[in-house]
Amino acid sequence: MTTKAMMKRWVVVWGVLVFVLGAAPVQAATPLETVRAEVNKVLEVLRNKSLKEEVKREKLRVIYNEMFDQEELSKWCLGRNWNKLSEAQRKEFLPLFQQVLEKTYGDRILAYSDEKIVFDKEVPITGNRVEVQTRAVTKSKEIPMHYRVFKNKSGAWRCYDIVVENVSLVMNYRSQFNEILAKNSPDELINILRKKVKDQKS
Amino acid sequence: MRRLLVVLALTAFVLAGFAPGAHASSAAAQTGEATPAAASDAASDALSAPPAASEPAVQEAAPEKPTAPEEKAEAGSEAEEDDFDYDMEDVPAAEQVTIADPWEPFNRAMFTFNDRLYFWVLKPVAEGYSTVVPEPARVSVGNFFSNLRAPIRFVNCVLQANLIGASTELFRFMLNSTIGLAGLFDPAGGEEIGLLRQDEDFGQTLGAYGLGQGFYIVWPFFGPSSPRDTVGMVGDFFSYPISYLDPWYAWTAVRGYQAINDTSLQIGDYEAIKDAALDPYISIRNAYIQYRQKKVEDRGATIPKSAPDVPGAGTPARGVGTEAAPQQ
Repeated sequence: MTTKAMMKRWVVVWGVLVFVLGAAPVQAATPLETVRAEVNKVLEVLRNKSLKEEVKREKLRVIYNEMFDQEELSKWCLGRNWNKLSEAQRKEFLPLFQQVLEKTYGDRILAYSDEKIVFDKEVPITGNRVEVQTRAVTKSKEIPMHYRVFKNKSGAWRCYDIVVENVSLVMNYRSQFNEILAKNSPDELINILRKKVKDQKS
Repeated sequence: MRRLLVVLALTAFVLAGFAPGAHASSAAAQTGEATPAAASDAASDALSAPPAASEPAVQEAAPEKPTAPEEKAEAGSEAEEDDFDYDMEDVPAAEQVTIADPWEPFNRAMFTFNDRLYFWVLKPVAEGYSTVVPEPARVSVGNFFSNLRAPIRFVNCVLQANLIGASTELFRFMLNSTIGLAGLFDPAGGEEIGLLRQDEDFGQTLGAYGLGQGFYIVWPFFGPSSPRDTVGMVGDFFSYPISYLDPWYAWTAVRGYQAINDTSLQIGDYEAIKDAALDPYISIRNAYIQYRQKKVEDRGATIPKSAPDVPGAGTPARGVGTEAAPQQ
């Protein structure tokens, strides 16, 4: 086969690949690539000085929903307490909890200045779960940030936990939910969340 | 040398006093891996704590299969019902760790005290300070104090038989004290030399010896702690040169200044943790024990700058910012 013919073949193969992958880009990516792509989208929004804060928040929300699986994350945060919530309570819980996370982490991320994110490596947890280890490098220190992702039913990697400086968000919330649900009903927990969201808005 | 003896004597004293209740972290530290056994030990520690141990700490306990069959069975049956089990499987032991909190009312009061201290005093002062002193200078001040703390890290590396860590600290101290201009800069930790700071303290050393945290304490001014980490703090006091400043108010003033400088470099961190929490007290208690447990387990983890990847530990890939890093 001549070089030219080979190249032609490659072009065709690539064309097909791009077409196929283009239709479902997430499926093909490794966990690290997925996290990198999403984090880079976040950085792009943050670095765009022409955007208003509200627009930025909206864009970050879209990225968050793409990157995180709120239901999976909530299940991990509640642990066995998830089973104590009725279907209706879960439906209420999910968006409220997401709003709490959005507000606080949104504030934090919007305060971003010039941190660099270094993407280190993937560490397998189990079959369909992987930890992607990154570091945020600031002038005075390095903050390890590990994203835990799982492969969802459609084969995409979605985050369900983030471990900042060795503290797992999921386990931190689990300790709080355990405490609250030891003394309160799930409905009361939802009220606490509702109040938190309200307080954050004011 | 005398200092070392003091520290050793303290260690012996503490080990003699606390040893029976201590095992959670040692297993983990020795294997260098988060073992489920370590976590269940910690959990059973919390469960077998005196009756004064608060309900919450028990609720927080994270039992593993071997030691707490009844708990597991309960979770299992629930999972069956719902075809769902998001319990403790595969969660690293360091994150499952729990702590008894028999002093919760006192601790909550101290938490409030420290919270006010932060918002009413420390933060405003640190903010004022940071408008006068530019960030690079404050980073340098931080480096300077960090360099003075080298004896703490060195001693604790030695006590943990971490000789590579100890020599790393020794070289760091020599380099940073000279070409780093008395510690104002950290050339040793730069990309070229790559001698990273070994964050070891006496609390971690005691943890590495197998001493458990005991129970949760919040000290006024010093914040979250435990009997183990309190002894650790006292031990580190003796290996921190600033402590030997005479008269006593000289070192108090220096420590105060250090606190202000440190705070000025992390304004917003505490606020974010607090804002994200439904119960900030519980959130911070949990963050503290997760963080400390991991530190004990990560003995010497910062030694190699680019550690050879553990076989099967995934794809090594590096990239900074938005640059696309090569992938194989």
